Amino acid sequence: MESTARPRSTGRFLVLAAAMLALAVLSQQSWAAGFRGTAKSALAPIEAQMMSLATAAEHATAVFGDIASLRDQNQRLNAENQALRRQLAELNAAAYDNNELRKALDFQRSFGHRTVVAQVVGRGPDAFSRTLQIDRGSDDGLQAGMVVVSGAGLIGRVRETGPHGAIVQTLADPQSRANVFLSGSGLQGTVIGGPGALQVQIQHHVGLVPTKGEWAITSGVGGGYPRGLVVGMVVNVTHSDAATVDAALVDWVNDPATLSLVIVVTDFTPS
Amino acid sequence: MKVMAGLLLMVAAALVQVTWAAQLEIAGAFANLVLIAVMGLTWTQGVRAGLLWACVGGILLDLNAPGPLGPHSLALLAGAYATGFWARNLDRESPFHPAAAAVVSTILYSLVLIGADDALGLPIPPLRTALQLTFAACLYNAVLMPPALMALRRVTGGLHWDQTAA
Repeated sequence: MESTARPRSTGRFLVLAAAMLALAVLSQQSWAAGFRGTAKSALAPIEAQMMSLATAAEHATAVFGDIASLRDQNQRLNAENQALRRQLAELNAAAYDNNELRKALDFQRSFGHRTVVAQVVGRGPDAFSRTLQIDRGSDDGLQAGMVVVSGAGLIGRVRETGPHGAIVQTLADPQSRANVFLSGSGLQGTVIGGPGALQVQIQHHVGLVPTKGEWAITSGVGGGYPRGLVVGMVVNVTHSDAATVDAALVDWVNDPATLSLVIVVTDFTPS
Repeated sequence: MKVMAGLLLMVAAALVQVTWAAQLEIAGAFANLVLIAVMGLTWTQGVRAGLLWACVGGILLDLNAPGPLGPHSLALLAGAYATGFWARNLDRESPFHPAAAAVVSTILYSLVLIGADDALGLPIPPLRTALQLTFAACLYNAVLMPPALMALRRVTGGLHWDQTAA
């Protein structure tokens, strides 16, 4: 019995693995993108309900009467704090750069770009790809590559779209890269995603050393992101005269685990 | 009835994984509830049933992940097959074995998922990051697997599910 069962299950495993591999190859083709996007949008309404339930459950399980209201107040104060931190970063950057740069940073302040607000309805299924699923898609004008921000600063970019949903690759994704400059020293670097704090590799410049407390702000180099979006604050620096780059950790202004609303910039095209 | 209950379990596990699980992140990893559900079904219902549920659960995860449909199913198939092998050949009652099987299945799951992404030309995480995340996920899933299996046994026992051919 045992000896016949094992080959049968092995055979089924091989057949199913081959079928899934074929599905992966087929669904990756450009002509299947529409079907794939539609299928991925299908779960979005249920996920939105789940997220609402999670929020409701959080409120319902608050043991002490004031916890829910204190949490709301805390969230509001956090939002205000984030806005103040953003303003501080912008002021730092403005002090560093010229008038033209300040105009560029006005993007952050006034959002002079066309935007679409979307609700986060899901998150990536594993830690290897830090993504968010949002409830707006190609029917709302979203396209792959568009930049996604929050009131606090940069979140990431749209990676895939369906008619009523899209997947956003966040800066925490290990594959994410964003070119930044530091608001105090003006040093340039690249932010690399990963678990925990974001890492930034900073190019050496004679006489300049990155310091804790500087703000990392998108530089616009490479054309992937517009200049002037706040990424986070430098919290740790590893400097070595012998190395060609310095390493630093950046405390990201956004926490993807708690994001509920995001803003998609629809009129910036990455080069 | 059995299919509906299994489907309900997979959909619930997938939805919870993509909505709530990330809030309980430890060391960059969070619980892979679909893998745990597939392992539990493999353990209680046999490897052939587990392989089918791996495909269903994988497609549900792929619907929430960037890229094509299929890589998560492939990864779950590897996990289910390893679990089936484990459950068939070792003491099924010991709580140590489900935990150890969760570690092995999580490693296989991660290897296959990254390997499939690489083969399909999709971006993959750096080796160090992948190792760190896999290690954390192994511990997380190993802790969750024994109580999850116990709960699943009670449910399947209550529903009088017979094990399919293993």
